[in-house]
Amino acid sequence: MDAATEVYMPGSEEEAIAAFGDGTDIVVVGGGTIVVPEMSYRRLQPAKALMLGRAGMAGIRREGSRVTIGATTRVAELADLPSPLGPCASNVADIEIRAQATVGGNICAGSGNEAPRGDLQGAFLALGATVRSAGAEGVAEESLEDFLPKRRKRLLLDISFDEPAAGAFAGLDRPHTHDYTALAVSGARSADGTIRLAATGAGGSGTRLPSAEAAAADFEAGGQAALGDVTPHDDAIASAWYRTKVLPVLVRRVLTELKESA
Amino acid sequence: MNLTVNGVTHEIDSSPLTPLLDVLREELGITGAKAGCHQGGCGACTVLIDGEPRRSCLMPVGYADGGEIMTVEGLGTLDDLSPIQQAFIHHYAAQCGFCTSGMLLAGQAYIDHGGTDDEEAIQNALAGHVCRCTGYSKIIDAVAATARGDSFDLTETAVGKHTTMATGGAE
Amino acid sequence: MKVVGARIPRYDGTAHVTGRTTYVDDVRVPGTLWTKALRSPHHHAAITKLDTSKAEAMEGVHAVITWKDVPLLEYGHLAALGIPADEPLLAKDEVRYLGQPIALVAAENEDLAAEAVSRIEVGFEERPALFDVRQAFDAEAPEIHHEGNWYKHFEEEMDRRQIRKGDIKWAFDNADTIVQGVYRPAAIEHAPIETQVCQVVPEANGRLTIYSCTQALYFSMGVVAAHLQVPLNKLKVVGGTTGGGFGGKVDTATETMCSLLAMKSGRPVKWRWTREEEFLCSSTRAPWHMEIADAVTKDGWILGRKMLTLHDSGAYSRFSPYGLTKHSFHHTGAYTIPNLEFDGYVVYTNRTPTTAMRGFGVTSVSFAVETHMSRIADVLGLDPIEIRLKNANRIGDTSPNGIVYTDPSTVLTIQTMAETTGHELPADYRTMTSEPRSGDLLPEHLVAQLGNPEEH
Repeated sequence: MDAATEVYMPGSEEEAIAAFGDGTDIVVVGGGTIVVPEMSYRRLQPAKALMLGRAGMAGIRREGSRVTIGATTRVAELADLPSPLGPCASNVADIEIRAQATVGGNICAGSGNEAPRGDLQGAFLALGATVRSAGAEGVAEESLEDFLPKRRKRLLLDISFDEPAAGAFAGLDRPHTHDYTALAVSGARSADGTIRLAATGAGGSGTRLPSAEAAAADFEAGGQAALGDVTPHDDAIASAWYRTKVLPVLVRRVLTELKESA
Repeated sequence: MNLTVNGVTHEIDSSPLTPLLDVLREELGITGAKAGCHQGGCGACTVLIDGEPRRSCLMPVGYADGGEIMTVEGLGTLDDLSPIQQAFIHHYAAQCGFCTSGMLLAGQAYIDHGGTDDEEAIQNALAGHVCRCTGYSKIIDAVAATARGDSFDLTETAVGKHTTMATGGAE
Repeated sequence: MKVVGARIPRYDGTAHVTGRTTYVDDVRVPGTLWTKALRSPHHHAAITKLDTSKAEAMEGVHAVITWKDVPLLEYGHLAALGIPADEPLLAKDEVRYLGQPIALVAAENEDLAAEAVSRIEVGFEERPALFDVRQAFDAEAPEIHHEGNWYKHFEEEMDRRQIRKGDIKWAFDNADTIVQGVYRPAAIEHAPIETQVCQVVPEANGRLTIYSCTQALYFSMGVVAAHLQVPLNKLKVVGGTTGGGFGGKVDTATETMCSLLAMKSGRPVKWRWTREEEFLCSSTRAPWHMEIADAVTKDGWILGRKMLTLHDSGAYSRFSPYGLTKHSFHHTGAYTIPNLEFDGYVVYTNRTPTTAMRGFGVTSVSFAVETHMSRIADVLGLDPIEIRLKNANRIGDTSPNGIVYTDPSTVLTIQTMAETTGHELPADYRTMTSEPRSGDLLPEHLVAQLGNPEEH
């Protein structure tokens, strides 16, 4: 731990935004589950740290069918939400980690070297979520897809989505992966029948599967088509090869479940 | 910043970013919670904060400010062992003992939240805890026994009893 | 009997559940310095430069040690078993595995120690690295070890463990078929929940108190004394509490270096490995490469076995020759094979040195032997349990190295296993015993290997 790090612990969203500024040289600490080990191992020695735990940015708000989730909401709080978000969140790590990790920290996680990070990215991508964030050029709202490439430089404030007509989640958990999710697919069907699919663990961050969406009428074809949307890699818990074998299976399962809940 | 640990309040000098584990062990000299990995991967550092099990190696101490922290030392004493501690002794649920503190506290929280002797539920509650010695089954037995309210005679021995292959043991 | 069969509480159970067990990292000595190591970033390289002056000059740094500070740099931990020393406590001219310790710093706190390590100036000239034991014997293989790529100090300076028994040529000439298999168990990391850790206190009377997580207290004491070139009575080793070892805490990996830092700084010193160091730099169970070719008859007799074993010792010998020796004695498993040609090599690679783990040497060969038995059954179309019972060790059979079995339990164990798993056996297999071979169970080819249990 670098004793020289300047620590900010804002008491409100406004204070957090002010402290974050344009995001230069400041590390955001949600629950700490990702950032604190990086500091313990000295891979991260920030000049400034923004501890969000007391900024009142947690909570799940509903307005009609629009759901808004605050950045520091614990991952555990999502467990009872409908698919894909509920099962996706319940599949993250274990009960202790889920109770400490935050939604914002999960979405904004950098891609992991040893195992995929940011499980929730997949579920929120499938839900067509919108992110409200602060940083250089002020507060902005944009799709999660547009936000993800900048997630390391923005302060996520909350994330919103419209409740889908149906949702599904299929994750690959292997005993040796020690509670990391090697690969997962989330799916959602909106009222007009549009299907959105996304994967985590098949690239640097959560990835939409547009080819699978286009071929979704045929579950097998959809599964195979998904391979064209991803660039799986080797890491400590699974090989790229294994991921290419399993991805079509997970896509098929999600498409099947979406159809069955029609 | 103040930290209340096992009922005693301490004033803390460490930066709010310091992991709670390091504050407990290094600043306060309370060593029951162990440093197994400093990555949240093993569960040896778990403590209870307001009755909830949390990885102390991941928690910046600033977030623990104002909370009631319990480490394994707060569960019971040599003269007054808590039921779960007795269960762990009776069921041989500790070998090297390094994971034991985290297992006990996670198990205690599970029971305090109404956990039963259902094996799968216990496994879920302890999912974040790694043991390299026991193979887990005795730990699960001990938590289940505690959930059931079993009582134990810790002085029990069976003098002169012989084991045979057929019975498989003294039990 | 008062204890056998009795239900005795663990002597340390109460301490474990109350948090009272004192592991090394729980020992609190005022004034203790934190230690960090400079480790090799390369698998194989010459050290062209090593300058610790900037680290030493840092405020809060109380000692820096390199190979120059070690009175006896290389000490063979198993010299008593004839395994000569080959590994420097701290790297001198070269590094042979990623993570090999080069220098250590003791400082007021962890941050300072880490900063000091980063200020050590070290230069390398990378060399080609060898990771595959099968390539170690090639003429163009990189040379890993100053004595060549495989250990050469078995008895009479043999470069392998060799077992020859009976007439292997006869066996292979008379086989109905040869069954081959290659078995390659991978390295295993012990991964104890407690990482390697040591605390050393320099006492006013000149002794060192060493709080050690070792599995082998007197053994480690001897190692430290040998490296430091001090009499044993200079050391007081406090052990007995290990947070998991499984064989990985017999390497005495921290005690000597901490002792040197304590002596040089005059302060208590602690070194606690991170989980990353534990995974990347601590010794592992060895990977093995085993090739078996069995000469078998169509009715399931194993007439002979040829076996080649390559044991991956990593960069240094440590206990590998001992492991391979045990392995060689067990290369027929629980079965009687009269004609044998076994060769085993301890091979060096640029991997982390391998060490003991739970029955090391034998677990690998058990895996290979049992898998191979099933393979033979498969090839011959025979029942895998019956083929084991037929070839099982019996009283009077001899082991690969000529030991006579007086009370083997193979037959009973396999029969019990078959019964428990509901595997039906024909009557003559169900009634087999471990009594000396006779009749159908003593074909001509098994006569010569018989030994007299009375003489054992």
